[in-house]
Amino acid sequence: MPRVHLMSDHRRFTDGEAVVESEGATVGAVIADLEQRYPGLGEALTHGASAGVNGEIHAEPQYLEVDTDTDIYFVAPLTGG
Amino acid sequence: MTVAADPPAYKWVGTRPIRHDGYEKVIGKARFAADLDLPGQLHAAYLRSPHGHARIVSIDTTTAAGMPGVKAVVTGADFPDLDPTDPNFDVSVNVMARGTVLYNGHALAAVAATTRAEAAAAAAAIQVEYELLPVVLTLDESMADGAPLVNEHNVTKFVESDGPSNLATVNVLERGDVDAAFATADLVVEREFDTAHVHQGYIEPHACVVDVGPNGKADVWASSQGHFMVRSLTAATLGWEPSRIKVTPAEIGGGFGGKTTIYLEPVAARLSEMSGRPVKLVMTREEVLRATGPAPASKSRVKIAASDDGDLTAIECWFGYSVGCTNDFAGLVGAMSVASYKFPNLKLEAVGVLTNTPKTAAYRAPSAPQAAFAIESVIDELAQALDMDPIGLRLRNAVAEGDPTAMGMPHPRIGFIECLEALRDSDHYRSPVPDGAARGVGTGFWFNIGEQSSATVNLNEDGTATVITGSPDIGGSRASMALMAAEELGIDVYRITPMVADTESVGFTDVTEGSRATFSTGMAVVNACRDLIEELRARAATILGVEQDAVTWVDGAAVADGQDPLPLSAIAARAKSTGGPLTVTASLNAAGAGPSFAVHCCDLTVDEETGQVAILRYTAVQDAGTAIHPSYVEGQLQGGTVQGIGWALNEEYVFDDDGSLENASFLDYRIPVASDLPMIDTIIVEVPNPAHPYGVRGVGETGIVPPLATIANAVARATSTRMTSLPMSPPKILAALDTP
Repeated sequence: MPRVHLMSDHRRFTDGEAVVESEGATVGAVIADLEQRYPGLGEALTHGASAGVNGEIHAEPQYLEVDTDTDIYFVAPLTGG
Repeated sequence: MTVAADPPAYKWVGTRPIRHDGYEKVIGKARFAADLDLPGQLHAAYLRSPHGHARIVSIDTTTAAGMPGVKAVVTGADFPDLDPTDPNFDVSVNVMARGTVLYNGHALAAVAATTRAEAAAAAAAIQVEYELLPVVLTLDESMADGAPLVNEHNVTKFVESDGPSNLATVNVLERGDVDAAFATADLVVEREFDTAHVHQGYIEPHACVVDVGPNGKADVWASSQGHFMVRSLTAATLGWEPSRIKVTPAEIGGGFGGKTTIYLEPVAARLSEMSGRPVKLVMTREEVLRATGPAPASKSRVKIAASDDGDLTAIECWFGYSVGCTNDFAGLVGAMSVASYKFPNLKLEAVGVLTNTPKTAAYRAPSAPQAAFAIESVIDELAQALDMDPIGLRLRNAVAEGDPTAMGMPHPRIGFIECLEALRDSDHYRSPVPDGAARGVGTGFWFNIGEQSSATVNLNEDGTATVITGSPDIGGSRASMALMAAEELGIDVYRITPMVADTESVGFTDVTEGSRATFSTGMAVVNACRDLIEELRARAATILGVEQDAVTWVDGAAVADGQDPLPLSAIAARAKSTGGPLTVTASLNAAGAGPSFAVHCCDLTVDEETGQVAILRYTAVQDAGTAIHPSYVEGQLQGGTVQGIGWALNEEYVFDDDGSLENASFLDYRIPVASDLPMIDTIIVEVPNPAHPYGVRGVGETGIVPPLATIANAVARATSTRMTSLPMSPPKILAALDTP
């Protein structure tokens, strides 16, 4: 199952767990699964995070495909100058 | 100087042709936004708040509206009120105050008149009744218990929040067990630091001309880092659909992140709509400094543990950024500065805090220089305490591919170690420190971003090509686009005309930020050229009477066995007879922007009688992945360095108690000039980014990250005094030297 790495504040939804496993073939599906298991977490990830997948950070990752070995790192949105 | 392990053999990429837009710029023909004048054009001027924080009880524009030459007056009431949860809310409120002025200089009305003098006189005649509110100017004031609210609409992002707050953002990153690591460390250094608000200092003030026609459509000419961004933010502020607005990009006289947002265009548009005339709106330098985005001031605490043999074992840090009066600041980015070293134990908190100061904006690598100043100063102090070479200590702990970033995700292929080695082996670092001088080093990191870009390539009947993109040419990107197209198509770079098209003539392209133009837009150009080559092979197959699979593209010509090569120009000349015009378009949402590292070295002297710092020699090393046009890569490195030197030594916003900026001119806000500096030497390291067809990494931002600490570290070694407050102006240095 994809492994989801959470920012510190998001761990309040998971009883402090920093890494949780989830199910889904896309990042969006993973978020939906997390919302089912940890109410509120999916909403927080949808509106307040970018996702780092396979070494790349994606601002709108919901349709990004993942597989069972994928690590997803949710981070605060990034910007630049 | 360029350092590349095994450079590929390119014909055009890596060469230094004269830029295609150079002629117009040299003879003064290039048109910047303020250069445009339209028949019947009006001129506009603002009324700005003289108070740092106040409720607007009433605005009376009656007198102003009747003054000579006045054609239209706008206030906040002429713009829709966006919901505070709308992502464009903060921009909208900053464009024109609604109900409350949040900083001294906040726009609250504007006038369009026949002349600028008439507009300014009328703006000054607008009568405003204010109810003064408490002014919060510093991070400490804002975070104090019981502090007045800076902005009643602000809700803290990224954490659970229960109502309005002065906290803008809170980001926390943790791994390992820092408490245990500090408890068992051989050596711990802890310091506190602060930096002041600084401005991007672009030479060209913000300017635009807007003409709203009888059909309600607006033509906008504006200087920005992204005209699609101007379109979308202007539309949001006006409550219009974006398609009502066409934005034509003017040449840009510097942006450095400060032109990734808007200030003027909705105001000029509404004035034009009301008056039925084109409206020109140009900021003065004073307005630029008072009311456009400076970089945040900051405070920080950094604590690092090390073993006696130089392993960095833990870092704990807190970064606070004074982000101004609104909350659209991505506070995590400062955290990226801890990405450079393999800390097994890490705890980092970064917060953005609101103050009644101008809404801040990006400045090259937003928030990273402040963080790197603190971290790289402590690293240097550790090197001194351990009696280690400062490059050696960094090499021992530097991250490489596969090591975790601050957020835990592994680094892709990066070139930090190569940059450190390039400086270590440089003539500068191998030369003795001049008598009476001291040497400092520092490093910096920036992640870079991709985002959306589009490109169209038109092959003309004479075999030349026009490359059309939607990224304004801020740092020589026209030349870089032409070089990549020349490499792909196999034709002379001067047979390519690169141009930047308006929002109705090229596909959507995101704002130029995150050092993305050469990476992302360049990738769109490459993809378009590769699609064009596919079409050229098909046309050649028709002409040669062979299957397309039998045709290859070699050095600008179609080649098939047993036939003479068919050059691109010959295929272009027969476009009509083989299927019609040869035009291709490519668009993408680019991922894989390669992170960039920089390592700087500075020799300087400190006059202990005056406190003045004199920089004798400076070298900037940076990984560019592949330098498409090395001259413009060097220019980015040099420009970022010089701006960082100004940040370190001279530049700061000075506010009075009511938040009025006391040094709102280039006489009093002193940026470095050529006579202050030696030539900034550069070393381009090339560790290709595997996610780009030519290996490009963005280079526009990282160069401003290291100078603050680099100079502070040299000053520390020159004076045996660790400077922890920027700028290190002569009075501050004298005061520090006088402190026992």
